[in-house]
Amino acid sequence: MAGQGIQRRRMLRILGTAAAAAQFPGFSKWTFACGHIGNATLQIKPAEYHPQFFTPAEYASVERLSEIIIPADTTPGAKEAGVAEFIDFMVASDPDAQYGFRTGLTWLDAFSDETTGKRFMELSLEQQTSLLEPLGFKDKARAGQEAGQQFFSMMREYTVKGFYTTEVGFKELDNPALKFYAESPECPHQGDPEHKHLPPQKH
Amino acid sequence: MAKRIYDVVVIGTGAGGGMAIKTLCEAGLKVCALNAGRRLNPEKDFRFHRMPWDMEFRGLGDPKRRDESFGYMDNEYTTAAWDHEIPFTTPRGMKWMWPRCNAVGGKTNFWGRSSARFGEIDFRAASLDGYDVDWPITYDEISPFYTRVEKLIGVASTVQNRPSNPDGSYLPPFHFRCLDYILQAGCKRVGVPYLPDRCAQLTVPYEGHPACHFCGECTTGCDVGAFFSTPYFLLPAAEATKNLELRSDALAKNILVDQNGQATGVAYIDRQTKQEVEVYGRAVVVAASCIESAHIMLNSKSRHWPNGIANSSGQLGRNLCDHLYGESARGYLPQLLGQPSFPDHVGDSTIAWMPRWQNLNNPHEEKFVRGYSVYPDGGCEEFPGFATKLDGFGSSFKREVKRRYPTPVSFGIQAPTLRSDTNFVDLDPEVKDPYGIPVARIHFEWDENVLQMWEHSKRICAEVLRAAGGELEGTGDAPEIPGFSLHETGTCRMGNDPKMFVTNRFGQAHDVPNLYVCDASVFLNCTDKTTTISILAFSLRTSEHLIENFRRGEHAVA
Repeated sequence: MAGQGIQRRRMLRILGTAAAAAQFPGFSKWTFACGHIGNATLQIKPAEYHPQFFTPAEYASVERLSEIIIPADTTPGAKEAGVAEFIDFMVASDPDAQYGFRTGLTWLDAFSDETTGKRFMELSLEQQTSLLEPLGFKDKARAGQEAGQQFFSMMREYTVKGFYTTEVGFKELDNPALKFYAESPECPHQGDPEHKHLPPQKH
Repeated sequence: MAKRIYDVVVIGTGAGGGMAIKTLCEAGLKVCALNAGRRLNPEKDFRFHRMPWDMEFRGLGDPKRRDESFGYMDNEYTTAAWDHEIPFTTPRGMKWMWPRCNAVGGKTNFWGRSSARFGEIDFRAASLDGYDVDWPITYDEISPFYTRVEKLIGVASTVQNRPSNPDGSYLPPFHFRCLDYILQAGCKRVGVPYLPDRCAQLTVPYEGHPACHFCGECTTGCDVGAFFSTPYFLLPAAEATKNLELRSDALAKNILVDQNGQATGVAYIDRQTKQEVEVYGRAVVVAASCIESAHIMLNSKSRHWPNGIANSSGQLGRNLCDHLYGESARGYLPQLLGQPSFPDHVGDSTIAWMPRWQNLNNPHEEKFVRGYSVYPDGGCEEFPGFATKLDGFGSSFKREVKRRYPTPVSFGIQAPTLRSDTNFVDLDPEVKDPYGIPVARIHFEWDENVLQMWEHSKRICAEVLRAAGGELEGTGDAPEIPGFSLHETGTCRMGNDPKMFVTNRFGQAHDVPNLYVCDASVFLNCTDKTTTISILAFSLRTSEHLIENFRRGEHAVA
């Protein structure tokens, strides 16, 4: 491809920027993890993260919620992408969001206590998942839980933002952004303009 | 020491100012150009291919500074290039977004690059539908200037034979993506056009400029200059003549006049020293962008011009028009569910367009007059925005995000307002900027006609999406706030009658013949097309008229 030399030069510069980004407070895990995508990711034991906004108990709940929303399965999930750190960092910088998170997490513990007699983080992963189902799935929603549904939507939005803006998230989608091409890429399905006969994809 | 007098002082280095600077310098005139901000360094001020995780806030911006942002181009990657120091106001109940890139090159550093010519149907619109007045020039007069501009900047498109869109000469167009072919089939069924956009982006190497590398990050700045911008395409030629002195961090305050009310130069604030400085010229070109040009001229009060320079008509700052922008419809294409990701955003949104198809045969065939265009877009984006609204959680959610990733589509409207007495710019009587200069106050509301277009576009775009086999997820609730498009026009409209217009048919002020306006403020309205290529064409024409006037001795070279 034309311009490969330029690409390499640019990549070196980009790596320089990434190193600078690692100096930002609150990014110990995700910059570290992103720098070592692949098999090495899970072997890394990053330095313990100290939340800037959340209390340790709140932070544990946020981390668990993010992992439930985007779990590690056949591919890495929110934990590997350091989503909870991102959420803490963003919320610490956003007084408007702080109230919503704090009241939402309080609501969640109260809801959990009322439903199961235990706080959210005292439940097993399985119990947590079933507790969250009426909050996260529209067709399982129950009246009177609007505050919880709203909090869950916010949590999901932050998780999506925190996950798909990392190298882990880019890899998950095979994100084609910011690559270089010799000419503008063309639809590969010539002869099928309406795309009625595409090969099925397995998922 | 005698004070230096330049031939021309040019305010602004965007599309209009940049073209004036190049044209005047190449004709041998000595030019002093003023720019409110600094020169940019692409490596620091552009995105420069940085990934979201290279950024402190992942490119989403500091939430604490959310209210300071002026639009989508003013983001974490480029925020240092946008003016956050000079305020403006709007009357209670009105809104305006005013993104101002005050850096050298102005908004051409980050612009959207769609580059369609205005046509006779635009210049003669008033004769056709009875609203407002015609432009003082014909398409045949401006056409050669468009041709020269296209030759200079390079526009990728095709010859399309559309009645509202005169064709020019083009570089090879962008290839269509899967979603383009699918939506094109839907458009065909509905009977509306779907064609390659006219994009000032170099699909091939051109005139010493490298070809685009299709990274898709154009609106955060191009580090190789593969689309038109003043710093890459105009200023080098001007600087090579040695006739240009460019003063940066020079915030124009007012135009200076002599005892006869003619322009003698410009007073500006040196933003480094905070001192007021005067620079003198035999002629002055104002090209600070539509609202800012009017703002500077309104602030240029003197015995001769108590209401602003060249404002005997009372029309200075009046007749502000804008493009209504908004997402007319959105949804997804089930055909592409689960398909491999595809680099859909290499053109950064200007691959295809649906050029005006309304009121072409009969100016009154719709409930509204004039017409609008639509920019369809979609596919794999850098950030899967749709996923923030997707239902559910867990592995099924994660799989659904991936399955849906190539499928989103949306339709963005670009619809012109009509001239109105209630849309205008004046000076705020109370608020002053940090340098003590009264700020611009912007009065603007959407008119009934443009809101009819908005409603119409929602219906048609939904129909197109369904006809393409797509799933409709919503039609636009509300358009973007005024100013979002960065396509404001008016405030110094051109016309033959000095009682009704600020400038003549060459963009020269009726009242002050050595004052010229080289930006979209001279336009009668904004049409359904984008403004930049027309700013370039009109600025080229005005600049050559200015040069001709110099040659005839009207602005007396010393």
